[in-house]
Amino acid sequence: MSNFLSYASAILVSIAVHVLVVGALLVNWQPESKRVMIQPQFIEAKLVELAPKKKPVVKKPAAKKPAKPKVDQAKKKREADRRRAAEKKKAAALKAKKDKELKAKELEEKRLAELERQRVATEFAETLEQEQAQLNAQEEDRIANSFRQLIQQRLSENWSRPPSARRDMEAVIRIRLVPTGRVVGVTILQSSGDIAFDRSVEQAAFKAEQFVELQKMDAGLFERRFRQVDVAFSPQDLRL
Amino acid sequence: MNEENLSILALITNASVLVQLVMATLFIMSVLSWIMIVQRALFLNGAQRSFRDFEDTFWSGVDLNILYHDLTDRAKEEGAGDGIENVFRAGFREFNRLAQTDKADPEAVMEGTDRAMRVALSREEEKLSTNLPFLASVASVSPYIGLFGTVWGIMNSFRGLAMVQQATLATVAPGISEALIATAMGLFAAIPAVIAYNRYAAQVEVINGNYDTFSDEFSSILHRQVHSR
Repeated sequence: MSNFLSYASAILVSIAVHVLVVGALLVNWQPESKRVMIQPQFIEAKLVELAPKKKPVVKKPAAKKPAKPKVDQAKKKREADRRRAAEKKKAAALKAKKDKELKAKELEEKRLAELERQRVATEFAETLEQEQAQLNAQEEDRIANSFRQLIQQRLSENWSRPPSARRDMEAVIRIRLVPTGRVVGVTILQSSGDIAFDRSVEQAAFKAEQFVELQKMDAGLFERRFRQVDVAFSPQDLRL
Repeated sequence: MNEENLSILALITNASVLVQLVMATLFIMSVLSWIMIVQRALFLNGAQRSFRDFEDTFWSGVDLNILYHDLTDRAKEEGAGDGIENVFRAGFREFNRLAQTDKADPEAVMEGTDRAMRVALSREEEKLSTNLPFLASVASVSPYIGLFGTVWGIMNSFRGLAMVQQATLATVAPGISEALIATAMGLFAAIPAVIAYNRYAAQVEVINGNYDTFSDEFSSILHRQVHSR
């Protein structure tokens, strides 16, 4: 009898203890969980191309060219009109006599017009070709940018900044790559002034080791753009 | 990810099935061990108190025959009597039975009495230490169970981490936090069980010592009685 009673009270106490503990946990944890989660700091590595881009400069004349022939044509037409008017006057003066001459002149006129047309056509074709080349260059730019972004991301993942890093520091390195995407050499083009920082940047490049995705790239594009890649590292999210 | 509710309840409900099972096991173990803890506390304290009361009445000079009859009556009312009273009753009953046979040899009487008391004593010891093995196993096993849940949870959360491109702390933290709950629960179950087990084991030892001493004293009284006849 007393045994049963002691068990019953034990069960009651035990359940009460657990309910209390669980209740306390549930109550206490709620406000803590409402804290704002702090976003992890991202390391940003910016790629800069040291060689100035020439493409935009090429673009401008190409855009202007199609307009030019039109002006020429108009001018030529006006001239032709003027000439024709003079011709008419002459014809009026020397009607019968100059009939043959007129015909010859007209033929000459036609020939000139034909020449003119041909010139315009070739010029137009040239412009088209140029435009096509420019489009190709743009496409190449786009692909190159995507790869460069990939390299940038990989580098920033592998970059662990030393505690001495400050926000205004910037180090530029040149990474030499082979077509398999492997990093074969790293040189510092522009030191940040802090040895640890420079070393961390170098390490980031070596740690990335291989950009496998570059294998998928067109060989010509690689030779032109990715044999050497210049990368500038500067921590932009630091407060100091 | 950031808006994820990190309350303990959400963490538990989001855990994987195995981790949840581990948590449930630990919770049940904790509840059971607390039942044992409270029950043992009541029982052992009761045993100690009744031993003290009995000793007081025993040494107060009361006639042993009267004491025996009183205790037997009380035991009949309550079912089985408890603790040292049973030892006393067993010894006294056996002594009377053996002593009433005329040709009883004093040595044989004492031997029988001692044997009867020894049996009752070991039965009482058994009663004292019931459930203590359960507490001991909760104390030693539940941290491991909790650890297993944690390792499993962390394993899963790292496996999830491998799929992620940009690995941040925020992608693993909820998983690890949720896994660590299992360890916390394991410790929560284990710590009271360890303390209680140590305490009760010591208490059982003390009470057993008391019982032994009493039975020796009682047997020496009977011995005197047998040989003084």
